[in-house]
Amino acid sequence: MRSYSAVRYLSVAVLIVLTTTVAMGQTVARRPGELVWAIPYDPKTFDPAKVDEAASEQVRYLTGGVLLRVNRQTQRAEPYLAESYTISADGKVVTFKLRNGLRFSDGSALTSVDVAWSLRRVLAPETQAPVAQEFLVPNAVTVATPDRLTVVVRLAKRVVGVDHVFDEIAIEPANRSSTGRVTAGPFVMAEYKRGQYVRLARNPNYWRHDGTGAQLPYASGIRLDIQNNHEQEIALFQRGEYDLIEGLSPEYFNVLAHKTPQSVRDLGASLNTEQLWFNEANAAPLPEFEKAWFQNRGFRVAVSQAIHRMDLVRIAYSGHATPAFTFISPANTVWHNRTLKYPHESVSEARQLLAAAGFHMSGAFLYDSGGHAVKFSIVTNAGNAARARMASLIQQDLSQIGIQVTIVTLDFPALIERLMHKQDYEACLLGLSNVEPDPNAMMNLWLSSSPNHQWNPSEKTPATAWEAEIDKQMTLQATSAVYRVRKQAVDRVQQIVADEQPFIYLVYPNALDAISQRLVGVSPAVLSPGLVWNVDSIRRKAQR
Amino acid sequence: MRRRVAAGILLALIVVSLLAVWTSKYGYAYQDREMAMVPATAQHWTGTDELGRDRTVRVAAALLIGLGGAAAAAAITTAIAAVVGLLAAFSPAPVAGVLMFVSDVFLSLPWLFLLMMARSLLPLTASPMQMAVITFLVLAALGWPACARAIYSGARTLRSAEWVIQGYASGLRTRQLVRLHIVPHLRPLLLPQFLICVPAFIVAEANLGALGLGIGEPVPSWGSMLMELDNSALLAQSHWVYLPIILLVVVLLLLESFTSEETHA
Amino acid sequence: MLCVAAGTILLVRFAPGFFADEREMDAKYAATARNEMQAAGTQTLSEIAVREVKGWVHGDFGESRQYEVPVTELIAPRIQVSAWLLLRGIFYGWLLALCAALPVSAVRKGGALWGLPFTLLLAMPTAALATACILAEMGGPVLVLALLIAAREFKFLRSALRGTWSSPHMLQGRAQGLPLQALIRVHILPGVAPQLYALATLSVVTALGALVPIEVIFNVPGVGQLAWAAVMNRDLPVLVAVSLLMAFAIGVAGMLSGQKQTLEAAA
Repeated sequence: MRSYSAVRYLSVAVLIVLTTTVAMGQTVARRPGELVWAIPYDPKTFDPAKVDEAASEQVRYLTGGVLLRVNRQTQRAEPYLAESYTISADGKVVTFKLRNGLRFSDGSALTSVDVAWSLRRVLAPETQAPVAQEFLVPNAVTVATPDRLTVVVRLAKRVVGVDHVFDEIAIEPANRSSTGRVTAGPFVMAEYKRGQYVRLARNPNYWRHDGTGAQLPYASGIRLDIQNNHEQEIALFQRGEYDLIEGLSPEYFNVLAHKTPQSVRDLGASLNTEQLWFNEANAAPLPEFEKAWFQNRGFRVAVSQAIHRMDLVRIAYSGHATPAFTFISPANTVWHNRTLKYPHESVSEARQLLAAAGFHMSGAFLYDSGGHAVKFSIVTNAGNAARARMASLIQQDLSQIGIQVTIVTLDFPALIERLMHKQDYEACLLGLSNVEPDPNAMMNLWLSSSPNHQWNPSEKTPATAWEAEIDKQMTLQATSAVYRVRKQAVDRVQQIVADEQPFIYLVYPNALDAISQRLVGVSPAVLSPGLVWNVDSIRRKAQR
Repeated sequence: MRRRVAAGILLALIVVSLLAVWTSKYGYAYQDREMAMVPATAQHWTGTDELGRDRTVRVAAALLIGLGGAAAAAAITTAIAAVVGLLAAFSPAPVAGVLMFVSDVFLSLPWLFLLMMARSLLPLTASPMQMAVITFLVLAALGWPACARAIYSGARTLRSAEWVIQGYASGLRTRQLVRLHIVPHLRPLLLPQFLICVPAFIVAEANLGALGLGIGEPVPSWGSMLMELDNSALLAQSHWVYLPIILLVVVLLLLESFTSEETHA
Repeated sequence: MLCVAAGTILLVRFAPGFFADEREMDAKYAATARNEMQAAGTQTLSEIAVREVKGWVHGDFGESRQYEVPVTELIAPRIQVSAWLLLRGIFYGWLLALCAALPVSAVRKGGALWGLPFTLLLAMPTAALATACILAEMGGPVLVLALLIAAREFKFLRSALRGTWSSPHMLQGRAQGLPLQALIRVHILPGVAPQLYALATLSVVTALGALVPIEVIFNVPGVGQLAWAAVMNRDLPVLVAVSLLMAFAIGVAGMLSGQKQTLEAAA
């Protein structure tokens, strides 16, 4: 009797709770012809000139009309709003010829006046546009408009790969900056619900037509869901709610590959690198003997030789990565140094190097000449599973040569503070992402005076001869107009880095994407945005 | 009787875990890199984890560390809550007000930042075991305020109960009264609190891993193993990933029958 | 409230990473990020505090550091979402716990077996529970919150109820043949009521704690999700506002349980 009522009580309660909660967790309904994917956080701004993080950059890419667009497959700038362009022999004068009959999304004409206004706005110091720095001396750049279709940009200094810079400057109607609501790109801003989604609508006056003369873009709009839970993103992709995922992690790639092999693509090595480096800064709050280890070339090379990169690839990335020995990935065919000589994996050679550098083994542990046990910590960021697995593997690899490693995961702001402001760390395992294939974009990583010169930031004068040599070669490649000279300089830098190992390169994670089988016209590329770089030609097949 | 059986099983579990850790030819850190994420084999009874480490040994070691740490921390935090709650209940109103105010303020502050500060004060090379001890102590120190209020309310009702008044009348001092009457009557509040804190602390330890606290690699952490259950990619690979949560449920049930029988005895 | 605000400002300001920005590692945006940081770095602690307090007087909670919009505008729509989620979660959680604990506490044998689902829920990390929901494509934030609360309350309720069934007046009631419903209504619930009220604060605190992971995993645009983003970006004005909300919620819950008790005592 009593047990009967017990069951009844419980089942009624369970039923009530279940029925009232099932409907939660759904996304907004998709509109016909709309493309949908996720971005990890709210864009900070919709003003194309003020973009300073990746989510805003993606919105600018989808909405902004630019003079030149970099083809993500060929990695070359192609005419976009400009019909043609020329760069003078000294590299200081860029002349654009606009297409005839261009219009903004609101129907008004787009002329050289609008282009000049948009460029000047980006260059003006009060705008604080991050992209302005790429002109080196932005306030000395002048913009002239001889006629309504011609724009002449005069630079004070030669800028290597200046055509790529114009890929990041959206042209807006003169004196009417609109935070993306009036654009000359394929889409315009339509609706923004903070924390939920950004909705873009098709630009009815977009300039491009396909081969049959049909107006582009094909898609009626785009919804970018603000979503940073991967489980949810994968589940929604599998349900057909999302059309694509750019940059899958290896474990989720495998899950999707198992269920729908046709929907995933492994594009091979990306431009990004994963690396380990030691804190070599003299000002670091570390004991002197530790600084001596980290500043010792033999020590760094030995560590590099003791790490089994193939195991990192195989176990940490389940095969979806490529072993790395230099900062330029083989995906970057133009600049990768194919004749690079790098220290090969060898535990015995590592032991010899350490012995030559004054270290000795006692029992299972390594000691330096002063009798200090060699132990240090590797800091890394929390939340990257593959990186965490790499850290554990490296910990084990280094124990083979007697080095004791502790692994500390920190949240990003705390990690950055240690790396950039306090230099209070011993070694760091982190990835650097490269969006631009031209090595000139890595200037502030390699110049010894730069705050982003991670292993020893903001040096007043280069601490070592090889850092001075890197400075010299990097400056050479930034000022020369001759490809052969630049390539030689960059190859030289790659060789110095391989010899000295200030960054111990580990792997290039592969570019892993998922694309709905409904999409037509996607042409995946390694360069960001790799899946939607030709967004105006991407179409979603209607549901049957 | 049941209590004794539960205690026996719990003890057996601990002994088996100790044996597993001591007698295994693989240490919990040994990576068999050719055997990552394999299912159960003769070599690895419950398979291996993503890095090819033997799961049996890791789960056994995690059980010992986690159970010891979390149970101790849960006991400490429950004790602090009881002391604060009772102190407030048997003090004059202003003191009680201040104590409850402190615990409320305590609850509203973002302690995450204190944990971050703690991490930045500790040396980066602190060993995983030192970090484990510190983490569980920190958890114990921060876990009490929510329960303190419940105990305060519970104790206040008891204070005005007839038999307590009678106790006062018959000359019992407050301290005796608390020991003899109040604490036994608060047991229905204290025991569940303790039982709830154990799994909560085990998981919290793993969550703090993101801030650089918690048990560091390669020492196995029960919490991290439980946290793996939110990764569908991993769940798809082996059923043995459920082993840690099954063991936790078993341990909790044992702890429960071990402690709850007392009320009837 | 002032204590909470002051505490929050202190904690956030001195936490590592207050003057750091993720973009500093990004070659492209490093310079911009550093400029912003330098601007923030020139403020002293007292300046921050004075500005915050001055703002409150005018009903202004300052501007969010990460989104660069007023905090009130950011939080207001989210409060409703989170409050609704909390209310429903707590209500269903209590309902479930009560309905399960009433019969289970009466069972002499196999009580542990009946409690097994709740022990399992207790052992399961919130994130794992939420992910299970996503994978099963059923349930949502309210269900997860309700289950979490039910698991905790169940333990308290069962142990509170256990003694009641065998108390003298219950035995007498049962001997007199009172119907079960009446027994529960007349004897059991009033008997454990004070303890239930005492648990209210505990329940609210549990729910508030679970709010962050649940909202983050289910992508619910509530205060918890905002709070998490604010923690990760050291967004001081938002964090102060969230802490004040927390203090308010806990204060109300505490007051409710206190009030009920005095009523109970008076009656």
